[in-house]
Parts: sequence; structure tokens; C-alpha cells
Amino acid sequence: MGVVIAIISGKGGVGKTTASANIALGIATNNKKCVVVDFDIGQRNLDMVLGLENRVVFDIVQVMDGEAKIKQAIIKSKVNPNLFFLAASQTKDKTVLESPKVEKFIAQLKEEFDFVILDAPAGIESGFEHTIEFSDEAIIIVNPEVSSIRDADRAIGILDAKAQCVKDGNDIKKRLIINRISPEMVLSGEMLSSDDILEMLDIEILGKIPEDKGIIEASNQGKPIILNKKSSAGQAYVRISDRVCGKDVPIVNVETKSGVMSKIKRIFE
Amino acid sequence: MKNRQYSLKVFETTIDNEEDFMSFFDTHQILFQDHLIVIKGRMSPTIKAYLEINNFHFINNFTLPIGRSRKALEEEFSLQKEGEKDHLEKEELFHSFNALQSEIDIKEKQLQASNKALKEEKIKNISIQKACQEKLEMLSNKATPSMTIIDNRIRSGQELNIEGDLLLLNRVNSGAVVKTTGSLIATQLIEGSIRCNGQLMMLSISPKANIVFHGVEVDNNLLKSQLNRIELKNREIHITQVTKKETNWA
Repeated sequence: MGVVIAIISGKGGVGKTTASANIALGIATNNKKCVVVDFDIGQRNLDMVLGLENRVVFDIVQVMDGEAKIKQAIIKSKVNPNLFFLAASQTKDKTVLESPKVEKFIAQLKEEFDFVILDAPAGIESGFEHTIEFSDEAIIIVNPEVSSIRDADRAIGILDAKAQCVKDGNDIKKRLIINRISPEMVLSGEMLSSDDILEMLDIEILGKIPEDKGIIEASNQGKPIILNKKSSAGQAYVRISDRVCGKDVPIVNVETKSGVMSKIKRIFE
Repeated sequence: MKNRQYSLKVFETTIDNEEDFMSFFDTHQILFQDHLIVIKGRMSPTIKAYLEINNFHFINNFTLPIGRSRKALEEEFSLQKEGEKDHLEKEELFHSFNALQSEIDIKEKQLQASNKALKEEKIKNISIQKACQEKLEMLSNKATPSMTIIDNRIRSGQELNIEGDLLLLNRVNSGAVVKTTGSLIATQLIEGSIRCNGQLMMLSISPKANIVFHGVEVDNNLLKSQLNRIELKNREIHITQVTKKETNWA
């Protein structure tokens, strides 16, 4: 039986889709069979970030409605033979999802794959609730800014109330990724520090990702940043994927990681 | 005026002079806030308005059983209710009898009319008794203490509605709402909204919180100490800083 992990954030534009693509690819690199499912129905993005947009034939709504089989809809990645992808419908909207259908669909995926990554839609409506309902774990993505943190806090509250495993009496495992940290701003006190964020949200940390301009180009080209070994964000995603696969990798403090400039600055201080 | 403490929560008094009555209640207002006041004598509109404005619980011209406990009083109510039931049955019989005989006997009709008047009076009495009982219950509910202890983080979007007092041992995150009817003690940082209607609040420094105490917004800058006591004294809000020596949780 595989593990179902929902990638959530509450607020939009903080990097759920990018994180889903990179973590899924990182898990696949660890020789684990992984499928990444785009649950953002009506606003399909993950296919582009993975560079698979021209290969989508069937989407998850068609699979849930019985119009297509999972094997027909699943797309195998060119980059890694262990990575698979299921696209969201671009023509329908979030209201088409129904709990029994979602449950059956996720149960089928769990049997075949080691990891099932669900890319949740932004917001906290029905589409979000269906994504978290049958998940075993959740990864929460935040940016170091107050609005993102408050929305994430709300999303965690809903997660604790509505997930099926919570209703069954167990705790849902939730971990935090802080995305787009700019070390200079944290050091100068303009940006919230990771400790402040963890204090506010009270959950376990999974990883910290520094701001990296390369991510935009990587997404546009459909080549996840994790493939770029030189990129600091790519390295952060490698560490995160290893942690998800159960490896013991220490958390690297990207805020204090010294670049050439900060070293020079420190000399003058 | 004649005053008598009937029981712990019931106070008997008479009206002889309006001014005397009002000045007496003005001086002892706080004492009688949670009492049921039984007033004998004619109640003028001025007095009635005065009592209602000050939120007193009162009833007029109600004879309390002498030398009996509240339990005995309640028993009497139930007995009277049973009596009323019998009375209603009798009345029904009376009605059917009347339907047959009404054309023959006019005197019978007169009797019926007087009976109706009697019945109305009875119903009126019972409604007063009911009101009295409800007020007694309300007051005894008010007296029972209840305290909730919460050690969960209150996350954004969550709303707590607490009846009675609350001891909060975890943080209240931005966007969450906590409402209590009683006092509130919070040991951790608060960033959400607080609505407290109790006697007292104990809060730490919380610059981002929205604190409303008895409908009045409390200025965050007034909470300077690590722990602050916010109290309602004589209809004024007092904020005192609790020094380290005073705080003794153990």
C-alpha cells in the first residue's frame, strides 16, 4: 500500500505545483514508484511544469466518471521511468468531484504506487476538501509572509477537522515547507524567520527552499528545478524528497548559508 | 418600608414611599443585582421603569410561603398545577351540562360567567408563578460555576464560544475568535480576537490581538507587563500589571 500525500497551502501562488512536480521527481529518483495527480480541476498547470502538456489525453474527472481507465489516463514521464502523472480536467470545475468517487480513485492509485502526490487547488473550498479527505499525510507550503501563514493556518485547521484519518481517530501527519526564503531579507529582519513561522504554525518542518530565479525558467521549459544540480532550490528539493522517502537528512539553514557577498559584508562589520 | 431576606437569593420588600424605595435600591444596587425581589404594595410606573432600567429581577404582590424552603415552594407550585387540572376537567363537564340546559336556565348562565372570571384569574396567577419559577431557575444557573480548560492551538478561522470561565494554555493564532461569557486567563501569546464578558481577564503582552472586554475595545499598548489583569470594577475597566512576584502558578 502506498502513501498519499497532499500538497496544500491555502493561499495561491506560493509554489504548490512547483513543489509537487519537484518532490514527485525527487521521490522517483529514489527508485520509488510515484504518481503525481493534479487536483486543481479547471486550472490545470502541473502538466506544463512537468513538460507533459502535449501528451494529456484523458483527465481524472473522466477516470472518476468511468469514461476512461486509470491505465489509459496515466502519463509516463520522459525524465524518470518511476514518475507518472495524472492531469486535471481543464474544461470542468471543482464542483464535479464527489467523495465516494474520489475515495475509489485514490484507493486504486494506492495499490499500484509507493507514493501518491496530490497537488491541491488554492483556497479552502470543496476541491481542497476532496484533496485532503483521503490523504495520509499533508505537506503545507508557505512563503515567509503573514498572509500566506494565516491562510496556511486556516488550511491546517480544516485538515485537522475534515480528513478521513482524523475522523477515524488518528492524527494526520503534517509537515511544513517554507518556500522562497530570501536570506538577505531574513538577515536584515525584513522577512519573517523560519523560527517565527514554526512558532506560529506549530508543526514539524520538512524543508526550507531559498528564493531562486531559475525556478521560473525551469517551469516555463517544463524541466523541474530538481534536475539542475547547481541550483540552491534544486538541492533543497533533493533533500526534501529524501526526507519524504524516510532518509535522515539534516535541515540546512538556507538563511545563514553564506554567499560570497555576505562573507565580504561580514568582514566589514 | 419593611425589608426581609426571604432566602439566599430572594429578598422581600414593601413600597410605602417611592423616594425612600428608590434611594434604598440606589445605595444597595450591587447587593441586589443577582436577587429576586418580591415587592408588596402598589407599584407605580416610575418604580417599574426604574427597576427595569437597572436590570433587577422582580415580581409584584406575590405571597411567598412563610418559613419554607425553595423545595417546598416548588412542591407547592406542582400541587397548584394539579389542582388547576382538576379544575379544568370540572369546567368541561360543566360546559356539556350547560349546552343541554342553557335554554331552560338563565341563572345557570350567570354562574358560568362568574366561573369564567374565576378561571381567568387562576390563569393569571399561574403565569405569575411560572415567571417566578423561571427567574429562580435562571438565578440558580447563574450561581453554578463552570470552567473550561483548553490546550489546543486555536487556528485561523476557528471560533470558540465558551459558556463560563476559560483557561487557555495555548496560542490563539491570527484570524481566530474566542468568546467567553465568564472570565478568561490566557498564558500564551494572542494574535486573534478575544470577546470576554466575565469579571476578569489575565493576558500577556499581545500587540496584534483584538481584545474586547464587556463591549469595550482594550488598547493593546496598555498591556505592558508579562501578565496583565483586566477587571471590571464599579462599571470601570481597570488594567493592572502583575509583577513577577505576584505570579505564582504553583
